[in-house]
Amino acid sequence: MSRLVLTPGEFRILEGLRLNPRKSFTGRVRGERLTKRKGISIDFDDYREYSEGDDLRHLDWNVLARLEHPVVKTYRDEEDLAVHLLVDASSSMSFGEPTKLDYAKRLACAFGYVALCGGDAVYPRAIGVRQQPGSALRGRASYPRLARWTTELLPIGTQTLANEMRAFAKTGARPGLAVVITDAMDPEVASGVRILAGRGHEVCVVQTLSDLELRPDLEGDLRLLDVENEGAVEITANSITLRAYADSLAKHNQALAEECRRMGGRHTLVEVGTPLDKVVKNVLKKEGWVAA
Amino acid sequence: MNLQSAAALLWLLPLGGIIIALYLLRMRRKDVHVPATFLWPERTDEVRANALFQKLRFSWLLVLQLLALTLFVFALARPQTLQKGLAGTTTVVVLDASASMGATDVKPTRFDEAVKIVEGMVASANPGDQIMLIEAGPFPRVVFPLSADPAAQKRALQSVRRADAPSDIEEALRLATARVGKIAGAKIVLLSDGVFEEVENFSAGQASLVYNRIGQGRNNVAIEALGSTAGPEGRIVYCGVKNHALDEQKVDVTVYADGKVVNSETATIGSNKTWGQTFPAPPGVKVVEARIEVDDILDADDYAVAVVDPGSSLRVLLVTPGDIFLERALALDPRVTLDKAPKVPEGEQAGTAGPGTYDIVVFAGVKESPVKARGILTLGMAGPSSNVTTSGRSNSFTFLRAEEHDIMRGVDLRNVYMENVEKVAPKAAGRVVAEGQSGPLIVVSETDKRQVYVGFSPLDSDFPLTVGFPIFVANALDFLAGSTVSDSFAILAGQQFQLPAKTDEKATLKRPDKSSVEIEPLQGRYIVRGVDQVGTYSLSAGDRTVTVYANMRDDKESSVNAQEFVSIKKKEFKAVSDLRRYADFWKPLALLALIVLAIEWWMYARRS
Repeated sequence: MSRLVLTPGEFRILEGLRLNPRKSFTGRVRGERLTKRKGISIDFDDYREYSEGDDLRHLDWNVLARLEHPVVKTYRDEEDLAVHLLVDASSSMSFGEPTKLDYAKRLACAFGYVALCGGDAVYPRAIGVRQQPGSALRGRASYPRLARWTTELLPIGTQTLANEMRAFAKTGARPGLAVVITDAMDPEVASGVRILAGRGHEVCVVQTLSDLELRPDLEGDLRLLDVENEGAVEITANSITLRAYADSLAKHNQALAEECRRMGGRHTLVEVGTPLDKVVKNVLKKEGWVAA
Repeated sequence: MNLQSAAALLWLLPLGGIIIALYLLRMRRKDVHVPATFLWPERTDEVRANALFQKLRFSWLLVLQLLALTLFVFALARPQTLQKGLAGTTTVVVLDASASMGATDVKPTRFDEAVKIVEGMVASANPGDQIMLIEAGPFPRVVFPLSADPAAQKRALQSVRRADAPSDIEEALRLATARVGKIAGAKIVLLSDGVFEEVENFSAGQASLVYNRIGQGRNNVAIEALGSTAGPEGRIVYCGVKNHALDEQKVDVTVYADGKVVNSETATIGSNKTWGQTFPAPPGVKVVEARIEVDDILDADDYAVAVVDPGSSLRVLLVTPGDIFLERALALDPRVTLDKAPKVPEGEQAGTAGPGTYDIVVFAGVKESPVKARGILTLGMAGPSSNVTTSGRSNSFTFLRAEEHDIMRGVDLRNVYMENVEKVAPKAAGRVVAEGQSGPLIVVSETDKRQVYVGFSPLDSDFPLTVGFPIFVANALDFLAGSTVSDSFAILAGQQFQLPAKTDEKATLKRPDKSSVEIEPLQGRYIVRGVDQVGTYSLSAGDRTVTVYANMRDDKESSVNAQEFVSIKKKEFKAVSDLRRYADFWKPLALLALIVLAIEWWMYARRS
């Protein structure tokens, strides 16, 4: 993996894109995104009664002349968007070739680059690793820091995904766009999504699964050991078992997608190794995750 | 059902125990790390075991394996059932290929039914069962030798062919005995309708004979006679038809002369009675045909042909105390109608009243005497009417040379051993065509009669064992018959004959079924075989074409009455309807076991 994680070609693809959340969020600093808060942008919002101290520049003189009643025009404010990049670094992400984590890092960098270019505040965070919330990354110039953070990220976590999402929610992080890049290998992952959404986040789950999960090449009599806990399952890997597994996976993914949609978020399933340009074209642009 | 090796069933206990013990073994599974286990169903189908021990659980694989084992062990016990097919482990089948086997009382014919039985025997033979097939036609032949190769036997079976002629069952049975007569328990199965002459000279040895009768009807009407004779007012054609059926039959009889109808009438013929009719032949007619229309079971004898042309037939009288070689050599000529007598009948002697019956008289081992016939062949004993005078005998005779003469074409006497040769001198008309150190050996003459004299009897030499002997006899007949050789003959189907070959080119024999076969000339003669079906054949060589009419005229064969008993060397053999024996039943069991194993494999593959 190069120092900047993404290739020049991929940077060109991402150039000019902006994250396109469904909700609007209150920002901390002035930015490029309209919020519900009244501000000083050029986007007209509403009229209200004039009160003392109001800036006379916003008084609508025409209305005063016609109605002899002072009203002022209010405008929407433009603030930054908090983009939480939540990268699953649990042990299950170390499967696949390349590993799911490596691929998740590239996606995180892609999302982060788009956000930074859009003037958003990017908060990278690894799921599965206990860490204090860091400061926001802002502006294109911060991308190398984001890239360095991803390259130093190792799969070490053993916590369940839902617990980690719950823990993140409890940190009181500023509501914003929570881009969760994970394999979602947790039966309780839907509850994690629900909790995050309950804290005001718009949860966008990018589920990355490798060939090992989508088309497991197993045969014979096996004892499957869960890499993240002590769980073990004895199976005879025959066509019946493999078909049952495929059904379970499909149901699990469908339940996660349903929960995301229900909570106003988004969900997509990306197979590890899918070229970034195809992800941008077939998912992000097509489903409205980003706008040009 | 019998069990030949019932003790083999005891294998069921230890082998079944082993299979069950294998199912008591516990599975040791391979550990595999996965990202998550919650998606995997807890599903185990234990098809392999490698550790001790667990409680026996129900498994379809176990059931199928025990079932397959039971079938295999049962097959090992060699169950036997009474089965149709072969009569034993070593079997020689003698297949009657005679004319009567063409009867259609068994559809399509008795012969086809017999072939079907042989096919069944080959198909039902167990591995190691040896079968031999002999086709008992006019000249018996081995269709396939004693072997256990069903594929080759089936192929060879395609070549069997029935002849419209009597079969030589005796020779065929002797051929069978020669092969299996010393094998105890061997069976000779005679597939026949029993319509053949009593077998006199046969012994089955240690083998046993089984007669399997084919056919049951006898409803047949046959043309028994068709010919012509010179009468005071020209030629007379006679035709005889015999009803072999048990009931009276109405028969439409039509006679043709050179293809034109000359007589047609409906005859009512009683059971076992013969109807006959004579009528004048049109002047100059050469070929007379007769055809009967009747609902009977044998077609071959419903048509007959007679060649009226005098050059087409030679009536030959063989005067001899017995000479089988000469008899056979004479019979090879299609023109010859041969009679045999120990001495010249009175009516044939020269000086008696009336014309002679015979064209040629052959003296062999009998002193030549004056006869009315226009041709005389004398072998070894000259008489006063011979073309030589005798002066004693020589015991050591060496052949010296032969002259260019038609009678010596294709004949080589250089290596022939001969003794008791007459010392002779030719008379005035006599011409020596072969001579040895003691004088003339073969003398010919052409006066009012044609004569050929040979200085030794065939039985006093090894001449009959050489290729040249039948050729010499044929040449002699050609010489003695003169120039009246016709281009059409009527023979009996199945008869072998020979004709002179003027060049070295091959002759082509065209059969009634439009097939043809090429015949190489041998020592100046075409030896023609395979005229075994009734009908018209043509033999073409160079610019000459000879038409040969094959007839089936045999009272025994036409009777077609399938016999309940056959008499072989004065012993009666009762017919059996089908052949049965106790035979191994392991094949279906083994097949069933394989099917069970295949299902077991499929289940195993599906589960693993």
